[in-house]
Amino acid sequence: MDALAAVCEDIQRHASRLKKVGILAEYFKTLSDEDLALAVQFLSAGPVARASANQTLFKIHEKAELKIGGSVLREALRAATGWDKETLSLCHAQVGDTGETISLLMRGLSTGGPMTLTEADRLYQTLFQASNTARRVALLAEIFHKYQPLTLKYFVKVITRGLRIGLMGRQVKEALALAGRHDRLSAMEAQLFEPTDFMLAKPLERVEDLDDPAAWCVEDKYDGIRAQVHFDQGTVRIFSRGLDEVTTAFPDIVAACAGLPGSGLIDGEILAWRDGRALNFNILQRRLAKKQVRATLIAEIPTLFMAYDLLLRNDELLLKEPFSTRRARLAELPLAISPQHSAQSHADIDRLFAEARARGNEGLLLKKPDGAYEPGKRTGAWLKLKRPYGTLDVVITAAEQGNGRRATVFSDYTFGVRSANGFVNVGKAYSGLTDAEIKDLTKQLRAASVEKFGRMMLVKPEIVLEVAFDGVQQSTRHKGGYALRFPRILRWRKDKRAEDCDSIEQVEALYRASIAVKP
Amino acid sequence: MDVRFTQSGIYLPEIDLWLDNTEPCACTWISHGHSDHARGCHGQVITTPMTLRFYRMRLWMSETDIEPLQRPLAFGESMDWHSARLTAFPASHILGAAQLLIEYKNERVVYTGDIKLRQPLAGETTEPLQCDRLIIESTFGLPIYKLLDRETAMRAIVRFARECLADGLTPVFIGYALGRGQEIVHVLCEAGIPTAVHGAIARFIPVYEECGYRFAGWQPYEAKATKGKALVVVPSHGAALETSGKDIRVAYVSGWAALDNARTRSGAEELIPYSDHADFDELLSLVATSHAKHIDVVHGYTEPFAHILRTRGYTAAAPQRAGDRTSIEAEG
Repeated sequence: MDALAAVCEDIQRHASRLKKVGILAEYFKTLSDEDLALAVQFLSAGPVARASANQTLFKIHEKAELKIGGSVLREALRAATGWDKETLSLCHAQVGDTGETISLLMRGLSTGGPMTLTEADRLYQTLFQASNTARRVALLAEIFHKYQPLTLKYFVKVITRGLRIGLMGRQVKEALALAGRHDRLSAMEAQLFEPTDFMLAKPLERVEDLDDPAAWCVEDKYDGIRAQVHFDQGTVRIFSRGLDEVTTAFPDIVAACAGLPGSGLIDGEILAWRDGRALNFNILQRRLAKKQVRATLIAEIPTLFMAYDLLLRNDELLLKEPFSTRRARLAELPLAISPQHSAQSHADIDRLFAEARARGNEGLLLKKPDGAYEPGKRTGAWLKLKRPYGTLDVVITAAEQGNGRRATVFSDYTFGVRSANGFVNVGKAYSGLTDAEIKDLTKQLRAASVEKFGRMMLVKPEIVLEVAFDGVQQSTRHKGGYALRFPRILRWRKDKRAEDCDSIEQVEALYRASIAVKP
Repeated sequence: MDVRFTQSGIYLPEIDLWLDNTEPCACTWISHGHSDHARGCHGQVITTPMTLRFYRMRLWMSETDIEPLQRPLAFGESMDWHSARLTAFPASHILGAAQLLIEYKNERVVYTGDIKLRQPLAGETTEPLQCDRLIIESTFGLPIYKLLDRETAMRAIVRFARECLADGLTPVFIGYALGRGQEIVHVLCEAGIPTAVHGAIARFIPVYEECGYRFAGWQPYEAKATKGKALVVVPSHGAALETSGKDIRVAYVSGWAALDNARTRSGAEELIPYSDHADFDELLSLVATSHAKHIDVVHGYTEPFAHILRTRGYTAAAPQRAGDRTSIEAEG
């Protein structure tokens, strides 16, 4: 754990993703199989409770929470340092991270004994087994005294599930590959009750680009919330695309999946559903906004989980199986499953697209029947066809520096449209321009800068972009009252001036058209 | 002794003397040469000879102003002022920075100004003073702030510069115009690393050279000729460089770099927590050795630091006055 902490600190010192991966790979190469498994688990999943001989798997999942939140950690730190609550909370407010605060305040107080990865795991297991809060506080305070401050920083970050060193799950996998430890790679891919990266679809620009329409399974592309349902004999947890847990927001889906036999991990889409069809995403969003939902809201906006893939079934990993096999296994479960169509020609695809749109869905997903499930990847084994809902000419009102490779340029743009009271913002776009264009644009933006706040600056509204988007939704964040969904930049319209851009009235008209019931 | 805390400075009415008054006044003591202290066209200024130099470099007079009467007070020297006796002692914040001891009617009052205990690059080491009343700064008055000593910080600076240059990247150091900037340039020059220096920092180098510090082989910063050199720039310029898209890596050398979130705030990759201000432990040590019966905390985390002192049995207060600076831009 001491070495892992030092590696994390070093990773943090580098903005280059390549460098981060390189440092991690070098570290991975030095580890035994057991240590590597622990290091990867601490970096990506957090502490995991292990079964002792007399526990069944089911029982572990019930107990799998560490039950250590901010207040337990603060209490333990108070006990370990003697600082009063006021001082501690002020320190924490300045630092903004519990693990870091603990490491800063334990300097000079801890005895600095060594902590191996095995030792860290043993300590986590002890914490899992601690019967009450007082015991957990006492154990933590003891731990804080015993080990090196830097190690404590990451020991706690693993508990709070946020390393904050700019390292993403994908980079851990890249480092494993680079270190030649592919054995560990497959174990990382899917685990029950641990959210897994979703497989992604490549956009298909034109139907004609498809070589052989008959070679694909065709499904509707839904405009809902992509989600994973993990279930094990009545225990159900739901994770969304951000890998956040959304279980409590959808008790109706939990109830529907509670009766599923055995265990499994299903990929699919949460939809607001009535009379056999999906309702507009704007309506579904009202459900997501609530952590705890009332029965009246469930009755008003019932939801359905539309299943379309199966990653795990009764401890069997299905990722490498062909899609057709996974789909057949999925069909054995009593669930709503996304209907499949087949096409013989490009014209069939066009017709299916129009039908999907008529059903209120976004477009089509095409999947290769022999394709594996590749988490987090966009390999082209899945294609999406979803012509944009519309395009607008908008003007940049603010710009922000990006991250990683784009940390030195202004790559994130807030944009607005004309209104009676000047320009009002309707969204923010990151993607669509080449690096060269972004560099050029950065120069222009700096010249147009009005005011700077850290990495963000307001600019004179004079640069026009053409953006495509997938819908319009109401928004309390933006002054204009609307936000574009998934805006992406098509072109920098150097030929247009700010007064040539589109207006809030046009945005409003698009929104009205979108909530009108489609035929 | 009556001590009044106002927005523009601290006033001692019985002897009609201001301490670090930022507004023009009849007479003020200036603790050190940073622009937020050494400013304003006063009737008289009392300060160390070195701080007087910086003050004159910054002094801006309109046609109707009369040249201030400048009264140098060297370290260890005393002068009578009305019915008090004033003595200057080193504060080692930057070159020329001083504490002021005011002896008046059997009471000893010490005003630290900006201070640190650790060995500075330039200037003399702080001499902790005993007094009845201590008026102390608290820029880093929270226990999370423990900063590097000079040796460790200087090694980190050289290591980062060499690491970047070996990777074909340009190391950029962000330091303040007076103090930190020259320290960074000095250590890079001593290590034989080609160094380009921003004008705001370079203008003070001759003053350091007169004091006997060597700055071998530095060059003025030129936007077009940065390859293979370490750059030392002021914070505002660092941000500009960072967005210019050059192959650079930025190091932030500041007390605020003690926290990881300084990366997002400053945009730097490397953090070197080194400062011209005392860190938390040094502040506590200054308070303890002073044996003061009353402590006024005047700058930075005033109330939290006064609270911490009270929990340790001291009589301490954070006198209310507007304009206390706790933001990241404030240091130096």
